[in-house]
Amino acid sequence: MSVSSLIVGGGGSHLTAAQRMALKTTAEQMCQSGKGLTACDEGPATIGSRFEAVGITNSEETRRIYRQMLFTAPGCENYLSGAILDPETLYQKSDEGVLFPELLKSRGILPGVKPHLKIYELPGTNGDTVMQGLDSLSVRCKEYVAAGAVFAKWRSPLVIDTSKGCPTDLAIRANMHDLARYAIICQSEGLVPIVEPDISLSGTHTLEESISINIKVQAELYKSMIDHGVYMEGSTLKPNIVNAGRDCPSSYTVDEIGSANIRVLRDVFPVAMPGANFLSGGQSLTEAAGRLNAMNKAKGNSPWNLSFSWSQALQLPLLDLCKGKGELQLEDMAKLYVEELEIASKAAKGEWEGEGGGHGTKRKLANMSA
Amino acid sequence: MKLLILALLPLLASSLTTPFKAELKKTAEQLIRPGYGLLACDESTGTVGARLEGIGVENTYENRATWRELLFTTPNLNKHISGCILFEETLFQDGAVSGKPHVTVLNENGIVPGIKVDMGLKPLIGGGPGETWCSGLDGLFERATDYYKQGARFAKWRTAVRIDTAQGLPTNLAVEEAAHGLARYARICQEAGLVPIVEPEVLIDGTHSIEETAKVQERFITLVYQKMEASGCYLEGTLLKPSMTVSGVDCPNKPKPAEIAQMTVQTLQRCIPPAMPGVTFLSGGISEEDASIYLNEINKIDRKGPWALTFSFSRAQQSSCIKVWGGKKENVEAAQKQLLARTQANSEASKGAYVPGSQPSDEESLYVKDYVY
Repeated sequence: MSVSSLIVGGGGSHLTAAQRMALKTTAEQMCQSGKGLTACDEGPATIGSRFEAVGITNSEETRRIYRQMLFTAPGCENYLSGAILDPETLYQKSDEGVLFPELLKSRGILPGVKPHLKIYELPGTNGDTVMQGLDSLSVRCKEYVAAGAVFAKWRSPLVIDTSKGCPTDLAIRANMHDLARYAIICQSEGLVPIVEPDISLSGTHTLEESISINIKVQAELYKSMIDHGVYMEGSTLKPNIVNAGRDCPSSYTVDEIGSANIRVLRDVFPVAMPGANFLSGGQSLTEAAGRLNAMNKAKGNSPWNLSFSWSQALQLPLLDLCKGKGELQLEDMAKLYVEELEIASKAAKGEWEGEGGGHGTKRKLANMSA
Repeated sequence: MKLLILALLPLLASSLTTPFKAELKKTAEQLIRPGYGLLACDESTGTVGARLEGIGVENTYENRATWRELLFTTPNLNKHISGCILFEETLFQDGAVSGKPHVTVLNENGIVPGIKVDMGLKPLIGGGPGETWCSGLDGLFERATDYYKQGARFAKWRTAVRIDTAQGLPTNLAVEEAAHGLARYARICQEAGLVPIVEPEVLIDGTHSIEETAKVQERFITLVYQKMEASGCYLEGTLLKPSMTVSGVDCPNKPKPAEIAQMTVQTLQRCIPPAMPGVTFLSGGISEEDASIYLNEINKIDRKGPWALTFSFSRAQQSSCIKVWGGKKENVEAAQKQLLARTQANSEASKGAYVPGSQPSDEESLYVKDYVY
């Protein structure tokens, strides 16, 4: 007999039992072992610049065909529990005229959405930002639910720059409180909120400094979620992988990085939340997979599912296939995409046997003489 | 490869640099090993005095030594009890009958001695009616160091908040103060080599529902852990001693044991991180049999939380025992058997294997309004 989702306590007590049950079921489905999320939620301008970089014209139709490939590549359904969409994509259809949310659901992939959000710089914080978008969020959530979305995502970026004192306590509090409020609004409308505290890879900070800042940020996040009455069992996490800054001169093995991630999560991540889907944020596929793999091997008795929610790590190599060709190479892209997803899936189970993910001179998996 | 990973974990952990780090982890794990829990006998002089006087025994140094010796020399106590929480007087005391230091008796039996280090609850000036704060941080590091030298290896600090929704209790002031005190105490004790048991009690006095208790606990316990992180505590070397999630004692809706268990596990899964190895529940006025039944139901649940869920009961293990003793030498053996009956019940309950009613107890509720330690 496990803990029933019908039990009312603090978090989610303003929701009905049926609402809680639906949120919990969806969150657990998103966190199935060996499956992860494909993040295809770039707005038209962002995906446009990626297309243009490889000589593809950006148009609504190009975006539709490209996303269709990401949803229908044969075999991708074995590795995907969900897909995060841009609002435009929610209303687009397949070649056969099936709306994408329906198409995804029919393939066992849950459709989610990233609402439009805008960065705003906090005065007096040396460049720290908050993400705006809470106003009218509940209205937009209703639209997304009507369109078939079952989860949402909100990304709050933070940057470590110890020389500037960033991220400031103010920025951390403001961002984590906004994530918590976004979460309760989503849950009231029937969407599972993915909360994404994204601490950037840029910087020179050591792995140890990264650990302590990640712990501080995530501790603030969960406290905020509890205080806002978020139903923890019906929400999931999308964190950055805990890493040394990109320009940090120290070296770390992939296992040290894996352990650092488990260290952070074990110190703060409540077991009531079913899982975390890590973002790639500028890491290559092998870097991200290597690190995800290492942390799954180091997991011990930690119960949450640790998986992926990747955009660039999966998609940039696919777009590279189009260089010099002038149009989308759909068949080749689909094939490579599913190969990449298989790697991601193995990493999500700690079963990937590839190399990669170290930092600095320990980039490749070090030769361990035990 | 696995060994290397395990070796790396401590290197990348909290701000704690004390040489005691590995020992703290080991002691914490020892205290909550499967089938084991704690016997809390750290009542202050005044409180234990009230218990002795309740059975017609005068509250003297010698009588207190006799009573505690009865507990510690219980044959086979070490089959269920991994540690005993002592009051300061007891840590430095010898048994009245044998003349042997209590600490020695415990160590010889493989039971870890622990020590209450808080200096009691005081009125919270500026707080709500009846609210308190827990004192004891001044000089704590020095005392903790002395206690370690005397043989203690873990500590306990009990703070308490009360629920009264109509009066807005607990106030934020009370909750913040309580969490702050616990976090500071925990960090200081770790520096001195003592595993801190962190006890954020939510009093059962009142008419509040089980849902209200859960709400308060969620707010309170998460704040405790946030402050412990900020203080740089090494979570693997700490334990938590919370209340079970129950309704107020005067609540018209009495939840069944299964519901209490569900709410308790749910609350803990929302609030406590996996790094913390174990929970040793307080009984706080719940009767002996009820405490065992609730603990049993809690452990029957298929939970996600990897931590141990066991017991640290005082009144819910001693109540019948002291009555059977009645202060008479000829009753010592029977009293010890009674104590062992309850520790066995709790040991079984910690594995979800207790059969309700299979161990004797007096049925009277132990709840005393406005109980003062």
